[in-house]
Amino acid sequence: MLHLSFTRWSQAVLLIVALLLPLGMGPYWIHVGAIAWYYALLAASWALLAGYAGQFSFAHVAFAALGGYASALCAGQLGFSLPVAIITAILLAAVIGALIGALVLRLSGPYLALFTLAISEIFRLMLVAEEDVTRGMLGLPVPGLFTGKSDIPYYYLGLALVVLALVAMNGLLATRVGLFLRAIREDEGAARASGVDTTRYKILVFVVTSVIAAIAGIYYGHFIGILTPNIAILPEMGLVIAMAVIGGIESLPGAVIGAVVVFLLSETLRSYGEWRFVLMGLALILVQRFAQNGLFPVLESLGRRRQERRAAIPSVGGPSNG
Amino acid sequence: MADGGTMFFSVNGLSKHFGGIHAVENLSFTLERGEILGLIGPNGSGKTTTINMVTGALRPTGGTIVVEGSDMAHSPAHLFARRGVARTFQVPRLFRRMTVLENLIVPALSDYAERRSTAEERARGVLQFLKLGHLANQYARALSGGQQKLLELGRALMLKPRLLLLDEPFAGVHPRLLEEIIDHIKSLNRDGHTIVLVDHNLEAIQSVVTRVMVMARGQKIADGNVAEVLQNPDVVRAYTGTRTSH
Ligand SMILES: Nc1ncnc2c1ncn2[C@@H]1O[C@H](COP(=O)(O)OP(=O)(O)OP(=O)(O)O)[C@@H](O)[C@H]1O
Ligand SMILES: [Mg+2]
Repeated sequence: MLHLSFTRWSQAVLLIVALLLPLGMGPYWIHVGAIAWYYALLAASWALLAGYAGQFSFAHVAFAALGGYASALCAGQLGFSLPVAIITAILLAAVIGALIGALVLRLSGPYLALFTLAISEIFRLMLVAEEDVTRGMLGLPVPGLFTGKSDIPYYYLGLALVVLALVAMNGLLATRVGLFLRAIREDEGAARASGVDTTRYKILVFVVTSVIAAIAGIYYGHFIGILTPNIAILPEMGLVIAMAVIGGIESLPGAVIGAVVVFLLSETLRSYGEWRFVLMGLALILVQRFAQNGLFPVLESLGRRRQERRAAIPSVGGPSNG
Repeated sequence: MADGGTMFFSVNGLSKHFGGIHAVENLSFTLERGEILGLIGPNGSGKTTTINMVTGALRPTGGTIVVEGSDMAHSPAHLFARRGVARTFQVPRLFRRMTVLENLIVPALSDYAERRSTAEERARGVLQFLKLGHLANQYARALSGGQQKLLELGRALMLKPRLLLLDEPFAGVHPRLLEEIIDHIKSLNRDGHTIVLVDHNLEAIQSVVTRVMVMARGQKIADGNVAEVLQNPDVVRAYTGTRTSH
């Protein structure tokens, strides 16, 4: 039946817009758009980790750094071919993700946040300190993926990665694992008493989201061409959280939209200097106060209401879970 | 043991110490298949701690928990659940931001052999049994206190339990719903469920069980026929001067 929900429609429209956008934009905004996809990958995967599974990790941007640096070092110092370097970086992120997931199994709430924050900072300081390997704050040069000066290939690569990540994560959430992750978020003890092997799924969600964060970092590094430890500073983590929360922390496409909107906004407001962070903070507070689940669900329900008004005959077969 | 026998659940020398507190001390008891046992005792006597241990939520300091021939004292909670040892919590612990139906489907799907359609069908059956069918698509947090207790019972039932441990199912429940819950427990037991029933409402307990076990300060002080046990001087002493809910 051709009964697409508002979510599907809006996503299809947004995808078409994103596909056509480079046609009408100058190189500056294409560059900005390509960076926005980096944040979209981070915000969406963090929304899965924190919004869905309830694991408020602050180490997410550290995984982006891990992926970016690992791929750059493998391709540079170690002389791996690009595909091998990238795959090595992804596997490394999966292993470290599983490790962190296992380490924080018994931590929750503020303890989990503090622990991951500490891990993230230690890793960042290592990147700063190990100048012989990482070139510290000077920055590590990273080989590009495409020849030529245009950012358009990166823009489309980034977009493809976002779409793939959303499809993969939504695929996972559509299985029983999605239900288990929400149950774990709501009450881990009750989930265990219901037969759910919470250990397994918590580690799984850390692995999946760490890998996506690492892919984001790999993409970013090869795109920008240089990596500094600043990729993993706390304000970057804060930005990702703000994006996910503003877009809708329990909706993965919402987090993508939040990332794009917030990043474009921060670029538009660049002339205001530090004041743009104040504005961003204000936006965050307003969203938290008036739309706790973010802007995307609000848009969704508005759309649904309009659809319902248009539908003269109520649909048969109960509510769809589009 | 060659056959499952009738004694399918036994606890031996079970203890739990929290630092200096001996919450449960050297507790032993057995359950026969299909039996219903009342577990009573003053506040803080170790009833909930016992339930926590025999469902894997708490690791015992010592002792064994044998379920159908295998010692599970060191098994994680989800394995107890998968083996059919199901429980409710003294204060309901539902998946609050999930629907009533989803709350029931989680335990069913924790068995990977069960398909979603079957799980949903069973869930609707359980909801009908509990007379909660009209609430299937409500968020669990929107339910009244009594309805939450019922839903927790339903969630435990979705595990197809061999042993059902109910921690104070009558506490804080409206009198009308109390009758209903008592009926549910009776009918579950009639259908062959083995049940351990913890509560302070002695009247309600007496209407359901014939055997009762009494704990005081972590130890078992009596175990047997309800009427006899409640006459037992040790039991009377344990209760006098101790505040109970009923
Ligand atoms: N996690 C814990 N840490 C420390 N002490 C605990 C813990 N859980 C229980 N206790 C202590 O163990 C003892 C037994 O508690 P428990 O909850 O098992 O009693 P109970 O019989 O269920 O009481 P009630 O009727 O009030 O529910 C109490 O002294 C309690 O304070
Ligand atoms: Mg108790």
